[in-house]
Amino acid sequence: MAEYGSIIWDQDRARGGKMTPALECRSVSKIFGGLLAVDDVSLTVPSGSLCALIGPNGAGKTTLFNVATNLYAPSSGEVRFFGKKATGLSAPHIAALGVIRTFQTARVFPGMTTIENVMAGAHLHIRAPVISQMLWTHAARREERRLIEKAAALLDMIGLGNSCDVAATDLPIGAQKLIEVVRALMANPKLLLLDEPAAGLNDHETAELAVFLRATRDAGTSILVVEHNMSFVMGVADQVFVLDAGRLIASGAPQEIQQDQTVIEAYLGAPEGQTR
Amino acid sequence: MSSIVQVIIGGLLQGGVFAIVALGFSLVFRVTNVVNLSQGAFCVLGAMGMYYFQVVFDWPILLAAIAAVVCSTAFSLVVGAVSFVPAVSRLPNSSTLVLTAGLLTFFIGITLVVWGNQPYALPPFSGETPLVIGGLRIPTQGVWLVGVSAAIILGLWLLLQKTTLGRALRACAENPAAARLMGINLPRMMLLSFGLAALIGSVGGVLIAPVMSLQFDTGQFFTISGFVAVAIGGIGSFVGSIVGGILLGIAEQFAAFYVSSLFANTLALLLLLVVLILRPAGLFSSGPLRRSDVRDEARVHRALVRLPGHRALIFAVVLVAVLVLLPVMPIPSGLLPSLVISLILFIAVLGLDLLMGYAGQVSLGHAGFMAIGGYCAAILSTSFGWPPLLGVIAALVLSVFCALLLALATGQLRGLYLALATLAFGLLIDSLIVGLVDVTGGPSGLVGIPAFEVAGFAFDTPVRMYYLALTLSVVLVLALEGGMRLGFGRALKAVRSDQLAAAALGVNVRRVKVVALCISAALASLSGSLYAFSFHFLSPEMVGTTRSFEMLAMLVLGGEGTLIGGFFGSLMLTLLPTLVQDLAVFKTAVEGALLVVIFLLMPEGLFGRLVLWLNTVPLYGTKIARAGAR
Repeated sequence: MAEYGSIIWDQDRARGGKMTPALECRSVSKIFGGLLAVDDVSLTVPSGSLCALIGPNGAGKTTLFNVATNLYAPSSGEVRFFGKKATGLSAPHIAALGVIRTFQTARVFPGMTTIENVMAGAHLHIRAPVISQMLWTHAARREERRLIEKAAALLDMIGLGNSCDVAATDLPIGAQKLIEVVRALMANPKLLLLDEPAAGLNDHETAELAVFLRATRDAGTSILVVEHNMSFVMGVADQVFVLDAGRLIASGAPQEIQQDQTVIEAYLGAPEGQTR
Repeated sequence: MSSIVQVIIGGLLQGGVFAIVALGFSLVFRVTNVVNLSQGAFCVLGAMGMYYFQVVFDWPILLAAIAAVVCSTAFSLVVGAVSFVPAVSRLPNSSTLVLTAGLLTFFIGITLVVWGNQPYALPPFSGETPLVIGGLRIPTQGVWLVGVSAAIILGLWLLLQKTTLGRALRACAENPAAARLMGINLPRMMLLSFGLAALIGSVGGVLIAPVMSLQFDTGQFFTISGFVAVAIGGIGSFVGSIVGGILLGIAEQFAAFYVSSLFANTLALLLLLVVLILRPAGLFSSGPLRRSDVRDEARVHRALVRLPGHRALIFAVVLVAVLVLLPVMPIPSGLLPSLVISLILFIAVLGLDLLMGYAGQVSLGHAGFMAIGGYCAAILSTSFGWPPLLGVIAALVLSVFCALLLALATGQLRGLYLALATLAFGLLIDSLIVGLVDVTGGPSGLVGIPAFEVAGFAFDTPVRMYYLALTLSVVLVLALEGGMRLGFGRALKAVRSDQLAAAALGVNVRRVKVVALCISAALASLSGSLYAFSFHFLSPEMVGTTRSFEMLAMLVLGGEGTLIGGFFGSLMLTLLPTLVQDLAVFKTAVEGALLVVIFLLMPEGLFGRLVLWLNTVPLYGTKIARAGAR
């Protein structure tokens, strides 16, 4: 993984804006009909860190994610990426801010090969205009070669180097989810939002993903992961946020969270005779 | 005053017919989420059956009507069972939409083969004498029409709302997967809705036959009017269908009475565009509309049609060499003009491929852009003496401008709306051409168009025209291939299969679609101009809705998303009827059937199949190259 940083990241960009947090949620709430799915959540993902958002089923993790990327408008509160207010921005706008998200279910593009899928992630960084692509200009082809090299290197890194020219939908779900993560990385994100990347992965793939995400963080990309897999989260995250029933009930380093009484109760239920 | 009331009564009658067709649309859409464009053909089948039993066999009216409805419904059920039902469960929605366009063409073709192309009219059920109430004349057939329509509507409502079967039908629309888990036989329910729609349609046809003269291609008129009616009313809503149908009928009658019958369509289509802009979901939308733009995950699998570098180069060189040498080879004399036409149409199909095969957007009115290209260039060069090249460029600009307007009017350009808006657009252009007789020559066509000419060099022989079209095709294929294999193509394909994921990667979904629409409009316009210059003549039906559907068939036959595929499709459909003159009457039926069969059995198309085969041919000196070579 030594050469990794140079593959995905132009280093000069990484150093800018260390001080402003990558993601800031300020009192975000989301109400569906009468259901308070996210209740006054404030959290901060520091720039350059790898944070995890956990919680039991239905805690509102994915909803918070979708509010942050403005798939749903928040009922109240606001979201900032790198100090810029993101509420009301369209999906391409948010991506242009350097914030790239993945989805809970594997959503590789059908009808495209694995490497094409990954290259599609670089959409924002394609400089050659459509007309110069159509004229087969030297610049457009050189850019394409660079993208191919980068995509192939990334695919090699997650062990899919041999599947470049296979239809992405023909690969197992685990591989498709990894492709999605790599596709997001092709966009050179400043902040990567991953929705359950380890769901559907076997133990070996999960371990590989953990190494990969840590390397990505070390290369300067801030990451927020929604995840169910506890051992994965505890092994990989710098900081953990715990949601339960829409509220943020704890945050801190993984070791602290593992000891936290409220968190244990949220997952296992309160001990007999006690109520929270 | 009484004339207004009389016009309204006329409108109600005509609207009743549209409402019946619209009801069929709604019913099938509610169960399958697919717009079945063959709906209008059921009416014609019913009416033709009625003619057969009532006039030829001389059966009593009631018996003849029952026999006609039973026969046409049975025939439609058989066709639906082998085509529509497998398609719905196997193909993405946009393909199924095009497949039903193929079904419509097939039904029209069958009607042409069996009943010929003369118009038919039947005697009214209760004689010719109209009812006179308070000085107003109401045709008795109208009373029949309104009565039976009301009965159909009531029956449908009872069936859907009050019976277990109705609940099962509705469940299929709400959540097909859950419905299947609950033990509902999904294909059977789809077939049932298709059959019911056929039943309603043929009953409607039997009732209409006495009041309007019908011929083989009237089905297309019914489909379009019914489709416009549901779009106005709101797809999936029964009340909407009825109100939409009646509004449309009254609008057309008013336009015909106060302006000119030539403009009857124009006003109705403007009404549709206004509704589409103000209330995209129609007047009575039934709940939130489904995302018809995103392909259902389970049904998007497609064979990857890729010819690796070396093989593609060899194939391209051989193909171009053959095409360049063709005129000097001993070929039948009639072949060259047909080749010119195939190449010219290929340019338009190329644009359609970009829009449909890559961006996943269906256009049902692409010939509308051809019409703009053809008429604009032709009129500028005949009446205004412009050089042809300038005329072609002016037409291109106008077409792209219209495409932008269309994009603006349809907002997000979501699947069904673009199909609908382009259909309306094609018809609008068509009705303008027919209506503006002084400028366009009207229905009889525009004559005396000069040959295409650049800087004094006239392309006035088939050979010259052939090389012009060939050069343009090659250049355009190369340019589009350049765009499609790089970032632009990836963005289009991403948008086709998953808009949400594409947007999350920063793809501006709307802009990408608008660019695709503009390019494809420009290509269609160019093709239309060349078509006019090549024939020296242009008439509305050469660039009408039939042409739009034919281009879809060419694209699907050749292979979507392959660029070159359209050439094989256009070659086949242009050459077949000229090679087998005696069988020309079967052309329409064969075209429709081919579209359906290819979609079901060979979704990658002729060219796609060829590529898959070429990939297996051993080639010395090359290995199957990796696209991701480092």
